[in-house]
Amino acid sequence: MSVEAIASPVRVSGPRTGLRLEHIVMGGAVLCLIVLVVLPLLSLLFGSLRGEQGMSLDNFAEVLSGRLYVNALKNSLILGAWTGLFSLVMGVSLAWAVSRTDVPGKALIQLTASLSYLSPPFLTAIAFVYLFSPNAGLINVLVRDVLGLPFLTFNIFSMTGLVLVTVLHTFPFVYLLASSALLSVDASYEEAAQILGASKMRTALTVTAPLVAPAILSGTLLAFVNAIALFGSQAIIGLPGRIVTLPTRIYALFDYPPEYGLASALSLLFVVITVVALYLQRAFLARRSYVTLAGKGARPQLISLGPARWAVLAFVVLTFIVAILLPYSTLIAVSFSKSWGLDFWKGLTLANYKFILFEYNVTQRAILNSLGLATVAATIAVLLGAIIGWIDLRTRIPGRKLLDYFALIPLGLPGIVVAVALIQFWLAMPLALYGTLAILLLAYVGRYIPLGVRAANSSLRQIDPSLEESAQILGASWLTTMREVTLPLIRPGLFAGWLLVFVPVIQELSASILLFSSSSITLAVAVYNLYETGYIEPVAALAIINMLIIGAAIFVANKLGGGKIASRSGPAQGLAS
Amino acid sequence: MATISIKGLTKSFSAGDDAPAAVSDLDLDIKDNQFVTLLGPSGCGKTTTLRMIAGYIVPDAGTIHVNGRLLSARGSVVPPDRRGMGMVFQNYAVWPHKTVYENVVFGLKVRKTPSAEAKRRVADALALVNLTGLEQRYPNELSGGQQQRVALARSLVVEPEILLLDEPLSNLDAKLREQMRVELKRLQRRTGITFVYVTHDQAEALALSDQIAVIHGGRLQQYGAPQEVYAKPANRIVADFMGLVNLVSARVTGPGTAAVAGGLTLALALPAGSGDDVEVAIRPENIRLGASASGPYATISERTFLGNITEYYASLDSGPTLRVQTHPVQVFAVGDKVSIEVDASQCSVFRSS
Repeated sequence: MSVEAIASPVRVSGPRTGLRLEHIVMGGAVLCLIVLVVLPLLSLLFGSLRGEQGMSLDNFAEVLSGRLYVNALKNSLILGAWTGLFSLVMGVSLAWAVSRTDVPGKALIQLTASLSYLSPPFLTAIAFVYLFSPNAGLINVLVRDVLGLPFLTFNIFSMTGLVLVTVLHTFPFVYLLASSALLSVDASYEEAAQILGASKMRTALTVTAPLVAPAILSGTLLAFVNAIALFGSQAIIGLPGRIVTLPTRIYALFDYPPEYGLASALSLLFVVITVVALYLQRAFLARRSYVTLAGKGARPQLISLGPARWAVLAFVVLTFIVAILLPYSTLIAVSFSKSWGLDFWKGLTLANYKFILFEYNVTQRAILNSLGLATVAATIAVLLGAIIGWIDLRTRIPGRKLLDYFALIPLGLPGIVVAVALIQFWLAMPLALYGTLAILLLAYVGRYIPLGVRAANSSLRQIDPSLEESAQILGASWLTTMREVTLPLIRPGLFAGWLLVFVPVIQELSASILLFSSSSITLAVAVYNLYETGYIEPVAALAIINMLIIGAAIFVANKLGGGKIASRSGPAQGLAS
Repeated sequence: MATISIKGLTKSFSAGDDAPAAVSDLDLDIKDNQFVTLLGPSGCGKTTTLRMIAGYIVPDAGTIHVNGRLLSARGSVVPPDRRGMGMVFQNYAVWPHKTVYENVVFGLKVRKTPSAEAKRRVADALALVNLTGLEQRYPNELSGGQQQRVALARSLVVEPEILLLDEPLSNLDAKLREQMRVELKRLQRRTGITFVYVTHDQAEALALSDQIAVIHGGRLQQYGAPQEVYAKPANRIVADFMGLVNLVSARVTGPGTAAVAGGLTLALALPAGSGDDVEVAIRPENIRLGASASGPYATISERTFLGNITEYYASLDSGPTLRVQTHPVQVFAVGDKVSIEVDASQCSVFRSS
C-alpha cells in the first residue's frame, strides 16, 4: 500500500473531513470532565499530602488517630449501618406488599416512597425538631406537660432520632430496586418451582429470594452511601446532640483558621468508604442481569393475606403519616403561627411569609440563584452526559470506557467532599471562582454528571445504531444526524435525566454550605442559615416555599418531557427490541 | 455506472460479545448495473464486508474502489455521509419520530434540493414502492412490509449509484418476503442501480442475483452466477451451503470412475488418481429411486411428505444413507427395498481433506 493511496481518501472527500465537528465536541466533553472531576480530585490528594514541610502523611496519621476524627468516623458508620438495616426492612416489606400481596392502598405506598425520596432531608429534620426537640418539641410538651406521661417523650437530638429522620429519606432506594426486581421476576420461574411440588414459602426462599437478593443488597448499599453523606440532617439533629459525623467534622475544619490538609485527608477517608460501598453495590447489581432475561411474563399470583392485610395497611398508613403527613403538616402549621407551641392555632398569621418574601432580603436572591443554578446545571449535566454516553456507545475510540468510569466517579463523592476538592483546586488557580455562582455550578454539574450520563446511556441503548447510520449514509453530517435523529429520539430520556439532576440540585446543601457567599447564597443554604440563627417560624415559611418550587419544577418538567414521542414511537421497528 | 472493486480486504475485531465477524483477504469485483449477493451463514463476515463498503468500518488492510476512486484503505476511509450510497437495514431503521414523507425527504434536504423538486421526487419514490397516499403516516402505523418500502424509497429518492441491502427481507413473513423479492428484482432492473445484497438465505440469493459471492469464515469461497454456484460448487463448503446435498466418501477405482460403499459406482470427472479417496456431492433431486431389477439397492428408512415433493432417507446396503427427493406420485413405504440411480453428470467431486 503506497502512502499516496492511503492519503487519497482524505483528499477526495473534501475539506470537511480533516478535523470534524464531532471531534471538537467530544474533545470538549472530555476536557469538561477533567476540569470537573479529575483535577479537583487530584488537588484533594495533593492537599491531603501537604504537611508543614513538604509531602507527608501527617494529615492521615492525625485523621486516623485523633479522637475527634475517629469518633466522627465511628458515628458515620453507626448511622450508615442502622439506616441501611432499617431501610432494608422497610423497603423490602413494602416492595413485597406491593408486588406480591393483595394489600389495599398500593398507590399510597408508591406515593409515600416517591415523596419521601423527593423531600429534602434537612426539611424533614427541621420538622422533626419542631415536634421532638427535648424541651420545646410540640409532641414532647404534649405528652409531658399535658398528658403527664414524661416517659413517652422522645429526644430527637440522638442517634435514634438521626437514624429515624435519615431512614425516611433512604428507604425508597431499597423499595424502588426491590419492587422493580420483584416485578421483573417472571411468574413462570415461581410456577415452575410450584409445579415441582415446592410450597409457597419454599418457592419464595429458594427461587424468588435469590433472584432479587442482588437488587435488595444493592439498594441497601445505596441507602448506606446516601445516608452518611447527608450534611443537613446530621448538622441539624446530630450537632445539638453532640453526635459529630464525617460531614459535620469536615465542615467544622473550615472554621477559622481552615485546616485544608486535615479536611482533605478526612474527605479522602470518606471517599474510600463510599467507593467501597458503591463498588460492592455495582458488583451485586451486575449479578442481577439474569432477572431481566425473563421478558414478558404473566403477573405473579398475588398472595392473599386475609385479615393480616389490614395490619400491613396500618403499617403503610403509619409510614405515610410519619414520613410525609407529620413533617409537612408541621412545617405548614409552624409557617402560619405567630409563635410555635401548644397554642399555635390561636395566633395564625401570614406575617412569616410576608417577612420571608418581602422583608428578608436574602430570599429572593436565593430563589433566583437556586432556580438559575439548577436549570443550568441540569442542562449541562444532561448534554455532557449525552456526549459521553454517545462516545461510549457509538464510537470505538480507545479509552472510552475510562471516560465512562470517570463520569461515574462523582457517585462516590459526598457533597461536602466535592466542595473541599473544588475549594482546594480553585484556590490554587489564578481564577477567583471561590464564592461565586460559578463554583457552585461546577460543584453541581460535577456531582450530578453521573445522572446525566446514565440517563443518556439508557436512552441511547434503546435506539438501534442503524437509525443514525441510515441518516449518515444519506449524506447527513454528524451535527445533522444528532439534531434530526439522535436527540429527538432520546429526548424523553434526557428530560427525565434533567429532572433527576434538577430536583437534587435545588435542594443541595452538603456542598453549597462550604461554597456559598452572601451574593451566591442558595435556597437550601438560606433555610439552614435562618434555622441556625433561630428564626423558628420564618424558617418553616421558607421551607414551604422551597417545597412549592420543587413541586412546580417537577410538574413543569413532566409536562415538557411528556410522552409526545413515546406514544408515537411505540412499537416502531427501528427501535431495538 | 458504478463498479466496486475490492482487493485484499481484511478486518479483525478484538473478541467481545457483540464483535462482528472478521473478514480476511477478500477480493471481489462488482460490475455496473448488477445485482450481487453476499451469501453465507451468520457470522461469516458478509455484513462486515457490506459495512466496509458503506464506510462504517475501517479495514485493517486492503482497498475498496468505487468507479476507480479509492474510498477505503487501511486506517483511512471516506465517511459514509460522503459516499453517496444508499443502504437498507435489516430492521429498516425507519425513523419513528418522522412521518413517511419526512423520512423519505431527509436525504434530499441534506442535499439542499429545492422544495418543489423534492416534493415531486418523494412522490415518485413513494409511487415506485407503492406507498402513495401514506405520506403523513408515522412508522408505527405501518406494517412491516410498508416500513420496508419506506426504507427503500428513502434510499432510492437520492438516486444512489449503489444500494446496499443488509438482509432486508429477513423480518418479513414468508408470503410478503416472496412478493418483495420480485419487487426488488424489478426495481433493480428498472433503476439500473448496482445492488449489493447480504443474505443467509440461499433460495433468496439464487432467485435474485446476477452474481453470488459465497462467503464463509471471512473468506470468499466462490463468486459466480447462481446456476454455476449451485451446479458447480467450488468446494464442499459451497456445496454444503447451497441447498441440500449428500456428501459421501468414495474411492477412485479407475479412470473416470469412483465407487461409493454399497455398490454405487459413478462416472465422474476426477481430480485424483486411482486408489485415492474423494468426496462426492450428490443433490437429493439428482437421485432416482425405482423398482428396477438391477442394483445397486437401498432400503427406505424414513419418509417425509412435503407437499410438492416427498423426501426419503434411503440406506445403501452396507453403505451411506442418502437423502432423496422424488415426485409425490412415486410412493414407497419405510422398509421397502428400492433400486437407486444417480445422475453423475450433476455431481461434484472434491478431494478428501
